[in-house]
Amino acid sequence: MDSLVEVEGRTLRLTNLDKPLFPGGFTKGHLIDHLVRMAPVLLPHLRGRNLTTIRFPDGVDGEHFYAKSIPRHAPDWVKRVEVGGVTYVVCEDVPTLVWLGNLAAIELHVPLHRAADDSWDPDRIVFDLDPGPGAGIAECAAVAMDLRDLLSPLGMSLRIKTSGSKGMQLYAIPPSPLPYRGPTGTTAFAKRVAEGLEAAHPDRIVSKQAKELRPGKVLIDWSQNVAAKTTVCVYSLRARREPTVSTPVTWDEVASAVDGMPLRFTASEIVARVADLGDLFA
Amino acid sequence: MAARPIWTGTVSFALLSVPVKLYTATRAKDIAFNQIERATGARIKQRKVSSVSGEEVPTEQIVRGYDLGGDRYVVVEPDELEALAPRTAADDRVIEIVEFVELREIDPIYFEKAYYIAPDKGGTRPYSLLVRALEESGKVALAKVVLRNKEHLAALRARDGVLCMETMLYADEVVATEEIDGLPRPGDAAERQIADRELEMAKMLIDASTGTFEPTRFRDEYRDKVLAMIEAKSLGQVYELPVAQEAPQVADLMAALEASLAAVRDRRPA
Repeated sequence: MDSLVEVEGRTLRLTNLDKPLFPGGFTKGHLIDHLVRMAPVLLPHLRGRNLTTIRFPDGVDGEHFYAKSIPRHAPDWVKRVEVGGVTYVVCEDVPTLVWLGNLAAIELHVPLHRAADDSWDPDRIVFDLDPGPGAGIAECAAVAMDLRDLLSPLGMSLRIKTSGSKGMQLYAIPPSPLPYRGPTGTTAFAKRVAEGLEAAHPDRIVSKQAKELRPGKVLIDWSQNVAAKTTVCVYSLRARREPTVSTPVTWDEVASAVDGMPLRFTASEIVARVADLGDLFA
Repeated sequence: MAARPIWTGTVSFALLSVPVKLYTATRAKDIAFNQIERATGARIKQRKVSSVSGEEVPTEQIVRGYDLGGDRYVVVEPDELEALAPRTAADDRVIEIVEFVELREIDPIYFEKAYYIAPDKGGTRPYSLLVRALEESGKVALAKVVLRNKEHLAALRARDGVLCMETMLYADEVVATEEIDGLPRPGDAAERQIADRELEMAKMLIDASTGTFEPTRFRDEYRDKVLAMIEAKSLGQVYELPVAQEAPQVADLMAALEASLAAVRDRRPA
């Protein structure tokens, strides 16, 4: 059952809105509803950034693919930017969000710079906290506190969110812009932070990807601070058993999580939370 | 001002003989300073004096001596060197092509200095022929040429329709890597310890940073700044030395991080 809808002056044909994307019955219609409701807080974080989506045409249990290039049949009003020979979608309005939802683009991933604004230096540094086997959100939260203690005195403005999967991501906005590359770029800075905290807390933290190093520990993955990498965007859904959302949290919540409070938010919870707290990532 | 040729002669290959003029293709743009006396601005002159008597030695009394060690020298006269000067086949004003190779076969370490070759009187047609033949075969000509009394190996190639020549070093003028401590040797242990994962990551970073080479994007910024300072001072302006800019602040951030990490380590319970 297709339906024609008009969104901000653009006409879109939506297909298979009743198709379940998650085992619990969350459908493509629900995905589009989530994106539209999140638009006011989500779009500012997508602005200017070349978008990579993970699409699940047959739901999270079906085949999925990473979509970087803009689909050939994209409407001509969809904004795009060429980066390294690939033409990406840049999502800056509600019609584009709805169009992406109709493509079953469950996960939205973005780089740390804004290519479409011709801004090639990252505007933030990301630390992806990934718990190894036997560790969880509590261990991640403890490492997030370590990072806060280290980075706040350096004049960094911090944002913290759940990954929507198992871990958390901390973003640090430096006092003056830095490039990715070079001895004082964000790649080198993030690596030094991860290695330094690993040296200080070798029982809880690792800085290298190798799986065998990680049981019971948290990986501070610094390697996403390069131009070619992306990180899941705040307010994006994740393709898990349930439609969990990468959700900004307060430092009070992080402190409670260290003591065992779960930090996990689904699409049905996020709407009220955003109405209540606004955009904690702004 | 038009550049002046540094050499004229012929390029010779088989039956082809091209009258040519040679021009230097590069110029170093280092800023030169003169030595002057601060109070008067007078130029400082160097005088050649005897290390024994301290007296000035007139130019005609200065000869070349080859150092044998222990303050012993062999005196060599200019005509003795002249008699031994290298010559190529016909005469010493020839760029003699000996063979053709692929450019990529030549390690860039051998290239010494670049020259442009222009056709001289009567050379236009054979010059164009040689350029076209090089272009269409995609090859580089290896040649011998005598410049300033030294026989050079040289590579001739077509570059945007112009014949270019790079003089090259001889193999024994390139320092062997074995002579330098600390350079990796084939099969070193360090090379074997690289994890596939690390290598993949490094290659990905290379891909992400790969562009096309645009020489004009790079400038000697230090020279630009020194020239700007000199111009300002020559106009009688007070030149204020720039205070630390963005980059040093960034370095400070790294330094601040190191200090914070040291503090974290110290706080850690033993």
